[in-house]
Amino acid sequence: MFEHDFLGLFPEILLTNTTLILLIYGVVFSTYEKYDYPPLVRNVGWLGLLSVLITILLVAADTPMTAFQNTIIKDDLTYYGQIFLLLCMASTIVMCLDFKLSCSNVFETIVLIFFSTCSMLLMISANDLMVMYLAIELQSLCFYVIAASRRDSEFSTEAGLKYFILGAFSSGILLFGCSMIYGLTGVTDFEELAKIFAGYEITLFSAQSSGLFLGILFIAVGFLFKITAVPFHMWAPDVYEGSPTMVTAFFSIAPKIAILANMLRVFLYSFHDSTWQPFFYFCSIASMILGALAAMAQNKVKRLLAYSSIGHVGYLCIGFSCGSIEGIQSLLIGLSIYVLMTINVFAIVLTLRQKHNRFKYIADLGALAKTNPLLTLTLSITMFSYAGIPPLAGFCSKFYLFFAALGCGAHSLALIGVVTSVISCFYYIRLVKIMYFDTPKIWILYEPMDREKSLLLAITLFLLTLFFLYPSPLFLVTHKMALSLCL
Amino acid sequence: MLESLAPFYSNLGGLILCPLLGSIILFVIPDSRIRLIRSIGLCTSLITFLYSLFFWVRFDNSTAKFQFVETIRWLPDSNINFSIGIDGISLFFVVLTTFLIPICILVGWSSIESYEKEYMIAFLICESIMIAVFCMLDLLLFYVFFESVLIPMFIIIGIWGSRQRKIKAAYQFFLYTLLGSVFMLLAILLIFSGTGTTDVQILLTTGFSERRQILLWIAFFAFFSVKVPMVPVHIWLPEAHVEAPTAGSVILAGILLKLGTYGFLRFNIPMCPVATLYFTPLIYTLSVIAIIYTSLTTIRQIDLKKNIAYSSVAHMNFGTIGMFSLNVQGIEGSILLMLSHGLVSSALFLCVGALYDRHRTRLVKYYGGLVSTMPIFSTIFLFFILANMSLPGTSSFIGEFLVLVGAFERNSLVAVLAALGMILGAAYSLWLYNRVVFGNFKPNSLQKFSDLNRREVLIFLPFIVGVIWMGVYPEVFLECMHTSVGNLVQHGKFD
Repeated sequence: MFEHDFLGLFPEILLTNTTLILLIYGVVFSTYEKYDYPPLVRNVGWLGLLSVLITILLVAADTPMTAFQNTIIKDDLTYYGQIFLLLCMASTIVMCLDFKLSCSNVFETIVLIFFSTCSMLLMISANDLMVMYLAIELQSLCFYVIAASRRDSEFSTEAGLKYFILGAFSSGILLFGCSMIYGLTGVTDFEELAKIFAGYEITLFSAQSSGLFLGILFIAVGFLFKITAVPFHMWAPDVYEGSPTMVTAFFSIAPKIAILANMLRVFLYSFHDSTWQPFFYFCSIASMILGALAAMAQNKVKRLLAYSSIGHVGYLCIGFSCGSIEGIQSLLIGLSIYVLMTINVFAIVLTLRQKHNRFKYIADLGALAKTNPLLTLTLSITMFSYAGIPPLAGFCSKFYLFFAALGCGAHSLALIGVVTSVISCFYYIRLVKIMYFDTPKIWILYEPMDREKSLLLAITLFLLTLFFLYPSPLFLVTHKMALSLCL
Repeated sequence: MLESLAPFYSNLGGLILCPLLGSIILFVIPDSRIRLIRSIGLCTSLITFLYSLFFWVRFDNSTAKFQFVETIRWLPDSNINFSIGIDGISLFFVVLTTFLIPICILVGWSSIESYEKEYMIAFLICESIMIAVFCMLDLLLFYVFFESVLIPMFIIIGIWGSRQRKIKAAYQFFLYTLLGSVFMLLAILLIFSGTGTTDVQILLTTGFSERRQILLWIAFFAFFSVKVPMVPVHIWLPEAHVEAPTAGSVILAGILLKLGTYGFLRFNIPMCPVATLYFTPLIYTLSVIAIIYTSLTTIRQIDLKKNIAYSSVAHMNFGTIGMFSLNVQGIEGSILLMLSHGLVSSALFLCVGALYDRHRTRLVKYYGGLVSTMPIFSTIFLFFILANMSLPGTSSFIGEFLVLVGAFERNSLVAVLAALGMILGAAYSLWLYNRVVFGNFKPNSLQKFSDLNRREVLIFLPFIVGVIWMGVYPEVFLECMHTSVGNLVQHGKFD
């Protein structure tokens, strides 16, 4: 029945198997009396990194196909999306490797991160509403657990609880949307849905299709919850702040890729229609504005980054509201550059710590230019890039997004985007100001960073600064991805 | 021999890369080897200067086309290419940039105490960015480089600036520029989505509709007028100038202000000729207000650097009047005025820097009677003060004269009002000089009567040579820009 179908799932199968093996290995050896109950973070981390790299090789060898009666699809979007996701995974694991900063049970967190990665791989390649929902749920379940993984911290438990309730709620909405679509069309397959929706005018007021419209709306709301777009963003700052930092790093990087890839497939391929676009249009504007204004008042680093990520989701949603090939392409470009910058920032946030207390307030960065000049330079360049100052990669992404917006006639989106990006400059350069110009009373000396993180930082910084010299590869790849979705 | 080698070293890309290479080399040298760092910084900038002179020598006066053009593919499926080239308008701006950077590095030779390596690196990176701005033949990349000066300048003002207020200044500088750039980015996007290209050479021959031209003109104006600076948005300038370190002020006054006027000349006037004619009265009004208002403001300043900063505003607005008189004399005059202002005002900032290094204050009331302790300084200061009020025989005179001639042809009232600026200029310049150099000897400077040392005199020499050369024999400069400017005027059908 499934002759060659398992070939298409090779990466997922490998990753699941290694996850199980790592789990068994970790459980057995961390409770081994003979070795004095070792913490095993580095071991599991390195082995996991290895398996992720092998998975990347497997994904790279994939060929376009559909499998399991068309519920799984492998095309250019999945291909590059999965490779990209796995690369980000690898870099998050690299950030976690430093076991001194972690509590005792961190190897379980890494195993859970692996499980969620498997599900995210499935999300990217899902071609059916059921598969999509199951993959999202597996991923969310892992996330709820790791958000609350630090049991001795009130913040972490609260974050986990909040995340669980709101996540479950949004999944419920998503499921309701899926069931409405299924009930009114009778299919769950994206391709079939695309055929049904082709040329189908769904207006709110025509009798037989208002249900379809509501279904799409519910699905959109469910997704927007997951990517923290504005009217549904309330959990994000608390969860980002409360969870352990490496978990926050993971939250703000990997799921965005998977969910956005999934959304692209659902909305721009199956439901391709202009009726839902105003909805994204609104969310995009609201996210940009709130991201820019709310981050201004923050004084904790993780909250600041949470709001800045909300703002960036707003920029990415510009790509959705266009719905053109340029729009998709710009979204993908923006996504990859956003992820690069976020990896960089979180690697720095994870690095900056003293013996016992972690770097938490922005004001703690004062005099960093004196104590860690290179790190300061890195962070300020990343901040400039977040702000979209020209020669850096962040500018290229914003430029292309606004270009797409103007190209499809969404002038107000471009205008608001540009204005909010100027406003957001204010708080990004505030960080730079604090690092370089402030002279606080208490100098905080941070511990030196480990080799893995410094390598990661160097690579991302290199990409961010020199991206504009040779942007063609990324543009070509994203163009391919966008084409595979539209053709 | 020279001719056969020419193709190898006559490329502009090399000129941009040269300081960048130097800064990369500096990056890997440890902080402790300070002598080596200084000499490498200076050598790189000097080599770049000589390199840029070479373009001047090889420049072909008889054509208005862009010369030394190079194109590198940047984006695969859209027509945005990394293409550079210079014509008569941009040639001297490039030379001015490369001329000023060695000076900046020499100024920081001993007065910079912290982060010396980073100082050199910041200035070299600044240099290559600014050369790139003046050479860029692509609108988007022009914008990219124009804006990217922000980062090094923000850091230069913020780190090596002199007082606590510098932070506010750095912020103001940053936000003002960004605010202007909002509109520019949208304009570029509009052009790009309308024509599908951002190549300047193609855009110059594209006829935009009248409505579009007016929109674009306003967007460009919003962007460049911050940098010029026109009157309502000039507030950042005195702040940034005053708080910047000496070399930072030199770059700000010498080059960054020229970016705005260069932008007018390159984009506003040839790309939207109809809108230019439409908006000329606006420019005249704003410039005249700026000249009179800032000249009057200059008279009542008590901070030496603010004084010179405000006089820069006045001079730059003289430049815009000349530029928008839209005839050959006016435009050439305004380019010449910008060059001369790049020399004179930079030199004045250097003078103030020399005073500040010795006395640690910039307030006029603490100075007086310097002529008896610092005679060499007083002489040099007098020279540049006279040049600042455009004494005949100095470069500013030629510039302002040509500007007034040009303006007079267009609109005699504007010329008359602008000529008021010359009178007021004399007033504030001489008043400043009298207060600082003559008069009673103030006791607080009694112990510190060291005159300029050899290095500082050496720094001033090229400025003096340049000012006199330009004032006595401006033909060398004018003949290079003649064809390009003539073409510009003809292209817009302004005659």
